[in-house]
Amino acid sequence: MTDHATEQPAPAELVLEQISKTYGQNRAIGDISATIPAGKVSVIVGPSGAGKTTLLRIITGLEEATSGRVLFDGEVVNGVPEGLAMVFQDYSRSLFPWMRVEDNVAFPLRRRASKAERTRRVAEALQAVGLDGKGRLYPWQMSGGMQQRVAIARALACQPRLLVMDEPYASVDAQTRAELEDLLLSIQAQLDITVLVVTHDIDESVYLADRIIVLSKPPSTVTEVIDVGLARPRDQITTKEEAEFVHARAHVLRLLRGTATPDDASDVRVA
Amino acid sequence: MTSMTHDESTAMPRARLPHRVGPLLKTGAIRLIVPMLLVFLWWLGSRSETNGLFIAPPLEVAQRVISDFLSSDPRHFFLGDVARGDLVPSLWRATLGFWLAVVVGVGLGIALGLQPVLAALFQPLVHLGRSLPTPALIGVFFLLFGTGDWPKVLLIAFGIVWPILFNTIDGVQSIGTARAHVASVFKISSWDVLTRIVLPGAAPKIFAGVRVALSLSLILMIISELQRSKNGLGNLLVSNQRNFDYPGFWSVLVALALIGIVLNVLLVQIERRVLAWHRGVTLQHD
Ligand SMILES: Nc1ncnc2c1ncn2[C@@H]1O[C@H](COP(=O)(O)OP(=O)(O)OP(=O)(O)O)[C@@H](O)[C@H]1O
Ligand SMILES: [Mg+2]
Repeated sequence: MTDHATEQPAPAELVLEQISKTYGQNRAIGDISATIPAGKVSVIVGPSGAGKTTLLRIITGLEEATSGRVLFDGEVVNGVPEGLAMVFQDYSRSLFPWMRVEDNVAFPLRRRASKAERTRRVAEALQAVGLDGKGRLYPWQMSGGMQQRVAIARALACQPRLLVMDEPYASVDAQTRAELEDLLLSIQAQLDITVLVVTHDIDESVYLADRIIVLSKPPSTVTEVIDVGLARPRDQITTKEEAEFVHARAHVLRLLRGTATPDDASDVRVA
Repeated sequence: MTSMTHDESTAMPRARLPHRVGPLLKTGAIRLIVPMLLVFLWWLGSRSETNGLFIAPPLEVAQRVISDFLSSDPRHFFLGDVARGDLVPSLWRATLGFWLAVVVGVGLGIALGLQPVLAALFQPLVHLGRSLPTPALIGVFFLLFGTGDWPKVLLIAFGIVWPILFNTIDGVQSIGTARAHVASVFKISSWDVLTRIVLPGAAPKIFAGVRVALSLSLILMIISELQRSKNGLGNLLVSNQRNFDYPGFWSVLVALALIGIVLNVLLVQIERRVLAWHRGVTLQHD
């Protein structure tokens, strides 16, 4: 992984400026402004229907905002930015079952890298997610957790500066989810990339995040931005026992229920 | 067309069968029981007083198949007179019509499948074409395209293009927006989207359509030769019947059945290779 890390481009910073999105009469996103700092893990949490998926589609340039703009390293996003890769929620629909794992991972690199370069990057990416030697399998020969690792490997093979994930672990069991959370954190630390995750899971948001962006009900706005100071590397058991973890989790939960008061935030630094 | 996505006989896991039945099925012994029963009934029929005149006995028909369709001459690729004079022209036209329909059906189906607006516009036309009684149109095809091979080829193509077209549209639309998002986020080139996402993704449905089209093409091949034809198995059927050559008539039917079986086996083998992934996915989700 070491030579991979050296050629990894610098992580990107993402700025959301007064984004709104209206579908017909339906105001999905009211007004969202936030900064996703470079080289950190940011997590978006919010009630169902708050427009999280919509926001990611706007960030990835798949959809246009009704108003506002997204800056990717200072440049206005207009189409899918170079250096952005994504892991989708539903691995069974985001991977291509007619391709072997190695071809799935290499697919975005076609016409962008030489054959030798592709082979090398695929091997590195599979190794990074703990799937070395599994390249010849088909996705449907793997468990759900392994398939989501393939999806992560495919994103990593693109050497992204920003990795975006929409509820990446929603369809795997709790044990696998914990493993994949730790995998994500170790990859992020090694490769030094910016990571933006959407999740429903409050524990997961606190465990992963340097910064949590809490959204309100639609038309959504940013309820609060919480910077989490928990030490890294984090640990599924000890980190979750820490007072700051427990307080942050309770605070996020209250924010989502709409019963938070400023005092609840005494243990977390509010940005 | 029904949107059957795969052939039950290939997709069903063998493991579900009781252990002793599995090997028996594999040797094909069980599959032979029904055909053997049919031949027996045929033989009974040929001995009946009333129908025996028209039903030639199986053994005699088998001899006719061999003498008409096979020869010992390597210069003729071991093909008998009837095979060269009628079978080859028939199959040639059917093959041409079949591939024409595959190219047009898949090409048009992908275009329509990718463009919901176009698909909506053409939907009524496709339904109309599908429900047209193709055999009844044969006169029109002779009128439009003369009397040579073309009216027959085009009739076959026209008759069988609909299941392919229908299934291709269906198959393309079944690929889903999630995969389209993957393609955009990873900036996959249009050519790769077409050849590596759309075509393989729609392939299971396309094959279902092609399977239906294949058997239809044999039927239409015969129908197109029943009138105004100088050669072909259809023409032979009619002329043998007119000449009261019932063993000859039955030998054509047997040859047709054999061709149907061979083509189907071929298709199943190709499908097995091309759609191995699809069987895997289906088995996993069962
Ligand atoms: N393509 C679309 N056309 C019309 N309305 C849409 C579209 N996509 C999303 N919406 C609407 O926008 C709102 C936000 O949807 P979105 O999927 O972004 O929410 P979400 O926060 O991701 O929800 P969940 O947590 O359930 O995934 C919803 O009211 C939804 O109905
Ligand atoms: Mg969503």
